[in-house]
Amino acid sequence: MAKVNPEFATEIKKYGAHDFNACFNCGNCTATCSLSDNNSSFPRKLVRYSVLGLESEIEASIDPWLCYYCGECSTTCPREASPGELMMSLRRWLTAKYDWTGLSGLMYKYLPFTIFAFLATALAVILFAFSKSFEVDTIMHFGHQFEMWAIIIVFTAILIPNLARMWWFVILKPKIKVKFLTYVKGMQELFTHMFTQKRTLGCDDSQSRWLIHLIIVLGYLSLLFTTVVLDWFGTNSLFIILLGYAESIVLFTLTFIFVRGRIKKNKELNKFSQPSDWLFVIWLFLMAFSAFLVRIFIDLDFIETNLWLYLFHLTVLVQWAVLIVPFGKWTHFLYRSFAMYFEKIKQPA
Amino acid sequence: MKERIGVYICHCGGNISDYVDVEEIGKMLKTDDGVVISKDVMFACADSNQKDMISDIKEYKLDAIVVASCSPKLHLHTFKNVAERAGLNPTNYVQVNIREQCSWPHSDKPREASVKAAGLIRAGIKRVAYSESLDNIEINVKKAVLVVGAGVSGMKAAIDLARLGNEVYLIETDYFVGGHITQTENLFTTGQNGKEIVSRLYAEIKSYNNITLFTGTSVEKVSGSLGNFAIDIRIKPRYINGKADLQAVQNAMNDCTVLVNDDFNFGFTKRKAIYKNYPEALPDVTVVNAEALKNEKEFLAKHASCLDLTQQDEILSLTAGSVLVTTGFDSYQPKEGEYGYKTFSNVVTLPELNRLIELNPDKLIFNNKPVKKIAFIYCVGNRQTKGENKYCSRQCCSSAINSSLQLADKYKGINAYHLFRDIRTYGKQELMYEKSSKQGDIYIRFDEKEPPVVEQNEKTLNIKVKDYLTSKKELEIEADLVVLVTGMVAREDSKQISEKFKIPIGTDKFFNEIHPKLKPVETVIKGVYIGGSCQGPKNISESVQSSLSAASKINALLKGGTVSLDPVIARVNNDACVWCGKCAEVCEYTAIKEIESGDKHIAAVNKAICTGCGICAPVCPTNAIEIAQFTDNEIESMIDGFMEKIDLKVREKESESTEEVSGVKMKEYPQLWKNILETMNGNKLTIPEISEKLEVDKDIITYHVMTMHKYNVVVTEGMDKKELYYYYKLKN
Repeated sequence: MAKVNPEFATEIKKYGAHDFNACFNCGNCTATCSLSDNNSSFPRKLVRYSVLGLESEIEASIDPWLCYYCGECSTTCPREASPGELMMSLRRWLTAKYDWTGLSGLMYKYLPFTIFAFLATALAVILFAFSKSFEVDTIMHFGHQFEMWAIIIVFTAILIPNLARMWWFVILKPKIKVKFLTYVKGMQELFTHMFTQKRTLGCDDSQSRWLIHLIIVLGYLSLLFTTVVLDWFGTNSLFIILLGYAESIVLFTLTFIFVRGRIKKNKELNKFSQPSDWLFVIWLFLMAFSAFLVRIFIDLDFIETNLWLYLFHLTVLVQWAVLIVPFGKWTHFLYRSFAMYFEKIKQPA
Repeated sequence: MKERIGVYICHCGGNISDYVDVEEIGKMLKTDDGVVISKDVMFACADSNQKDMISDIKEYKLDAIVVASCSPKLHLHTFKNVAERAGLNPTNYVQVNIREQCSWPHSDKPREASVKAAGLIRAGIKRVAYSESLDNIEINVKKAVLVVGAGVSGMKAAIDLARLGNEVYLIETDYFVGGHITQTENLFTTGQNGKEIVSRLYAEIKSYNNITLFTGTSVEKVSGSLGNFAIDIRIKPRYINGKADLQAVQNAMNDCTVLVNDDFNFGFTKRKAIYKNYPEALPDVTVVNAEALKNEKEFLAKHASCLDLTQQDEILSLTAGSVLVTTGFDSYQPKEGEYGYKTFSNVVTLPELNRLIELNPDKLIFNNKPVKKIAFIYCVGNRQTKGENKYCSRQCCSSAINSSLQLADKYKGINAYHLFRDIRTYGKQELMYEKSSKQGDIYIRFDEKEPPVVEQNEKTLNIKVKDYLTSKKELEIEADLVVLVTGMVAREDSKQISEKFKIPIGTDKFFNEIHPKLKPVETVIKGVYIGGSCQGPKNISESVQSSLSAASKINALLKGGTVSLDPVIARVNNDACVWCGKCAEVCEYTAIKEIESGDKHIAAVNKAICTGCGICAPVCPTNAIEIAQFTDNEIESMIDGFMEKIDLKVREKESESTEEVSGVKMKEYPQLWKNILETMNGNKLTIPEISEKLEVDKDIITYHVMTMHKYNVVVTEGMDKKELYYYYKLKN
C-alpha cells in the first residue's frame, strides 16, 4: 500500500519541476517517447508517481536515467505539464537521494549555498597560494598533485559509496534477485554506455546532439588523462603538448556551443536551465579554455609573471573537482551508465 | 353527411406511384358515394396543386376533402391550411397515409399495396363524409400566475412574469426566500455569495406591486384548470404578533436563552429559538420555534406583547391562470455508514463543507481540530449503475472543485485530494478544473466497482483507494476531513406536489416535461409548467434559464386573455348519460365532473383540461360519451369503407418485372447491383477489379457485393492468392 504524499510535489519543484500537477494522464508523453518501451514505460508513470508523491516507487526507479531529454513529451503535452523537465528534476532529486553527504541536495535546492561553496573554494585556493608566497613552481606542482588526489578521494569517499546507495535503492531494497554471474555479464553494457551513450541515438531529435556530446565526453576524458598522467603543463614532449592543445580546443569550442544553446533556449531541453546546468557547462568551458591559455603562457614564458592565470585555472579546477564532480551534474556520467547496467541485470535472463 | 367530397391521390414523384397504381385507384373512386372529383397528382403538397385544390373546392363547392399521400406528421397542417384558405373548415379534411403504410413497406407486393391503399382511401372518404365542422375552443384565462418555490429560479421567473404585467403569487415553504443558494458563500463560476444574489432578487421583487410573496406557505389543494386554477394555500404562523413593534421582537430575541440545533448550518452550530436563518435573511421577519419555547411560560409571559404561540395555520384561496412549479431539489443524504458518514465524525457532505467554509473565516477548524488535508469523494449517491439514482447531477464536480479552489484561497496549506469517477466540468467550468489541477490538487480516479474505503485512524481518517491511473495501484490517503460530493435528488415532498398538480414523475422521481427537446418546460397538464431543478439536476444558470423560459411560455399563454384549444375533446350526450361515474374514474386528467342538469345528474367535461385521449368513451355503458372527430359514425364508416370489395385493375407489367434470381425475390435490384452483375457477366471477379471496371469507390462496391453475397445473389469462388481477395461470381 503506497501512501499519497502531497508534500513531494513541493519538494520536487525545488529541483526545477513545474506544472506537472496539471497532468490528466492522457499518455501522449509516453506515446511520443521513442525510448519508452514495455519494460520501462515513462514519463507518464513517473509523472503520476510524482503527482501522488510515491517516493519509494520513484527512488527505486531507474527510469529517469533512461530518458535523454529530447523534449518531445513536453512539446506534445496537451496540458503543458512539462513531463520532460519533470524527468530532469527527478534525475536531480535522485542524484541528491543517492548522495550520502546530503550536499548534493543542498546545492540543487539552495542557490546561495552553491554560491557560498564556490566562493569558499576560491578563497581557499588564494589562501593556499598566499601560504606558498605565490611561488609559481610550488603552486603548479601542487596543482598537478591535487588533480591525482582529488580523483582518488572523490571516487573512494563519495562516488563509490553513492553508487552503492543507488544499487541498494534500485536492486537490494526492492528485493530483486540477481545472480553474481549476471552482474559480471552485464559489465559490457555498463562500459558501452559509459563511453558511447549509444542510447541517445534512440531519441528522435537531431543526432548531432549525440555526436557533440560524445566528442565532449571523449575530449574531457583524454584531456584529463593528458594533464594528470602525461603532465601536460610539465612535459617537454611536443606530441603531448600538441595533443593537449587539440583536446582543449575541441573541448572549449564544443562546450561553447552548449552554453550558447542554453542562452538561446533553442531546444526544449534548453528552455529551463537550472544553476546546476549552467555551472556544469560553463565550468567545463572555463576549465578547457584556461588550461589552453596556461599552456600558451608556459610556451611563451609568460607564466612566471602571470601567476593569476594559473590561479584562475586552479580555482576552476578545484571547484570542478570538489563541487561539480561529486555533488553536481557530473555524476550523471556514472548514474546513467549504471542505470543502463542495472536495467540490464534486472531483467530475467 | 358531406356529399361533395374531393379526393386527391399523390404520386409522391414515384415514391408512391412506383408501387401503388394511383391512376387506377383514382378512376375507381370516382364512382364512390359523395365523391365529386377524384384525381391523381404528381406532388399533392406542391404549391401548384394547392392552388388547384383551392379552385376545385370553390368551383365544385366541395364540403370535404381527402388527400392520400404521406404521413399526417408531415403534411396534415399543409392541407388543413389549404382547406382553411378555400373557406372550408379544417376539420372537414382527412389525410390518408399511403406512402409509409403502403408503397414503402409493401414494395415487394405492388398489387396488394394498391388494394390496401384503395381500401384506406375509401375508409378516409367514408370518414370525412361524417366529419363535422368544429371550431377551436376559446377559454378565458386569468392573468395571474402561481409560482411555487422562491428559490433563485422561482424568484427570477416571478420578477419577469410581473414585469410583463401578470399578477404573481410567489409561495415558499421555508420562512425565508432563496433556497439552497443562501447556504453557499462562493458560487461558481462568478464567485458571488448566494445571499447577495438573493438580497438583490428580493429587492427587485419588492419593487413590483403585482408580486405577492407568501413564506412558510405550501400548496394545500388545487382544482380548476388552465386559465382558472383555484389553489388553496396553507400559511404557517411565525408566532410573532403582527402588530408588535420591531424593538420588542428584537428584545425578545436578545432575551431568548433556549438554543436549538441550527438546521441552516446542518447542526454545526446552535441558534436561538427566536431566529432568522442568517442575519440578513429575507423577508426581514423573525420566526419563533414554538415547539422549543412552549414550556418557557415565564419568558412567554414577559414578551407576551410580541410572541403569540396560539397562532394557527391559515388557509387562503387564490385563482391563477397558470402555475409554474420551481420547487427545486434535495441534496442527497448519504446513508449511515456510506463512506463512513455519521460513523466517523469527520465525514461531511459538500453542502455541509460549504457551511463550514463560511463559518470559519480564518482557519478551517472542525471538531476542534485544524483541517489541512481534505479528501473529496465524488459521485456519492449518483451515477449508481445498480442503485436508485442512475443520473449524473451535472453540477457537483464543478461545485466540489470550486470549493477546493476556495479552500486554497481562503486558508493556508490545504491539501486537497479528489477521488473521482469522471470529472465533468463541462463548458467554462473546465477552467476551474484546470486551475485546481495546476495548483496541486491531487486527482485520483476510481471505479464504481472498487470504491474507496474510509477508515478511522488514531488521529486522522484513512482512505484506501485503487488508482485507475497507475494500473490500480493501492493508495493510502490520510485526511483530516472527508467530503462526500453528493448530488441532487428529487425533493422529498415532490410526490405530494405532483399529486396536487398531476405533474407526472419520472423513475428518477423528478418532474417530467412533455419532451426534453421540444417542450422542455411544459407538462402534460395544460397551464402547469416546471422550471429549475425540480425537473432534474441543473446548476444555477441552467435552472434560471429553464424557469425564465417557462415564464415566457406562460406569458405568451396568458397574454391575450383567452386561449384557443384543439376541438378534439370528449363530449357528453346529456340525454343518454345516467351518471355512473365510470368515465370520471378512468380520466387521468380529472377532466370529468358530475353536474346537475335539470332533474338528473350527468357527466360534464372540462374543455380546458380534456386532452381528447379517448379513454372515457369505451367505458361508458350507455354510449353517452364520444370524442369529437372520432365519433362512432366516423369510426364505423371507416371500417365499412375498408371492408368494401376493391375492384381494381392493376397494371400487369408490375408483376412481370419482378426479378427472380436464385432465391432472392425483388421487384428490382438497385441499379448498382445490375451494373455489378453485368460487369461479372458470368466471369469471376474480385472486388478491386469490379471497382476498377465500374469506376466506383471500392468501399461502396465492397458493401454491395457483401450484401449481394448475403442474399445469395453472388457466391465466392476461390481467391486471388497474391492480393488476398475473394473472387465473386453470379450464383447459378
